[in-house]
Amino acid sequence: MTQERKAPLPKSETSLTYAIEDEDHTLGNSLRFLLNKNPHVDFVGYSIGHPSEHRVQFRIQTTGEITATEALRQACRDLKQICAHMKQTMAEEVERVKSGAADMQS
Amino acid sequence: MASIRKTYRRTPKVELRSLTEESCEFVLSNTDVSMANALRRVFISWVPTIAIDLVEITTNTTVLNDEFIAHRLGLLPLVSSRVKEMKSPFESGEDDDWTDVEFHLNVKCTGDDTMDVTSNDIQCDPRHPDVRPVTDPEGKGILIVKLRKNQELNLTAIARKGIGKDHAKWSPVATTFFQFMPEIHINQALMETLTLEQKQEWIDSSPTKVFRLNPITRQVEVENAEAYMYDGECIAKAEELGKPGLVDIHQRQDMFIFKVESTGALKPDAIVVMGLDVLLNKTHDLIESLETEAQSHAAQAGGLDS
Repeated sequence: MTQERKAPLPKSETSLTYAIEDEDHTLGNSLRFLLNKNPHVDFVGYSIGHPSEHRVQFRIQTTGEITATEALRQACRDLKQICAHMKQTMAEEVERVKSGAADMQS
Repeated sequence: MASIRKTYRRTPKVELRSLTEESCEFVLSNTDVSMANALRRVFISWVPTIAIDLVEITTNTTVLNDEFIAHRLGLLPLVSSRVKEMKSPFESGEDDDWTDVEFHLNVKCTGDDTMDVTSNDIQCDPRHPDVRPVTDPEGKGILIVKLRKNQELNLTAIARKGIGKDHAKWSPVATTFFQFMPEIHINQALMETLTLEQKQEWIDSSPTKVFRLNPITRQVEVENAEAYMYDGECIAKAEELGKPGLVDIHQRQDMFIFKVESTGALKPDAIVVMGLDVLLNKTHDLIESLETEAQSHAAQAGGLDS
């Protein structure tokens, strides 16, 4: 290994539980999925304590290369990118179908 | 870090198959179930629309009680193309925020025949004439209550912006669902051990038209994989014929057929785009609150050290 070994991050930063207010499975499950894809993440899980409680408890444990907050931030950015991409392609498709319908009429 | 991020598939494909005034169908691919489900959930319960929320009844001598009528009014879909300009009572901060749309309904039956009170009888807010109950092609309107001679209904209704999470009346979709794209492989070698009659019998075992017999090659082909309803009939039939493994059917985990059926409040393509906007806002807000949280933690830690 030519790379210098860095001191591991303190546990207090690599394993954290977040409480996300006013959210549900919509965001919880997509973020959990994206975090699971991250090889630096050891464990990720979420739970909604009670159906009438509008709070998602989010547990992230990383392997030590990145902080849990950084992992969550990356997942958020990925989700944002996915949504932005889908929005763009959807807009293009709507344009295509609408102009196609217009061509048919003329 | 770049190599890791390649493992995510972050460029889903969208192929719009049909788009009408009330429904749209698209194929979402190159993504996964969690995204498809997030989308479905967002369409049902997070995309805002306008619906009647507060009803003040002055006279009601109809056979239906006040609450019942108020509930029926709430369920009327209202054209919500201007919902983005509105604020819900929960987000409103300024006095000049637009939160309410007022409707009036004042009807009395004078004739001997039963009178139908429909959404066409509702008087719209003159300040916002484009917020009105949705119309059907025949223009019959949506039935609210029926009146007998001398029965009367007089009320004021206030419509507000809201989301399906609060009450289903604010949901912009009648239904929205996605289906996994089926992947069907026929074991042709095994299929050739069947007689022509058996082949036809096997094809007919599927309740939907999934397979066909090629008249020239006399081979069984997949005609329309999407018609397969995951009923397992053709698999059961193959076993009955003593040929298990005749066909192999999988649900693709990265391709979904999405259907959005609107109530009429919003155009189906607007529902999809607004749904994606909601998801974008959610992630944006989460990133922001992560930043402020990290800063306050750092400040706290600094305070402890000194």
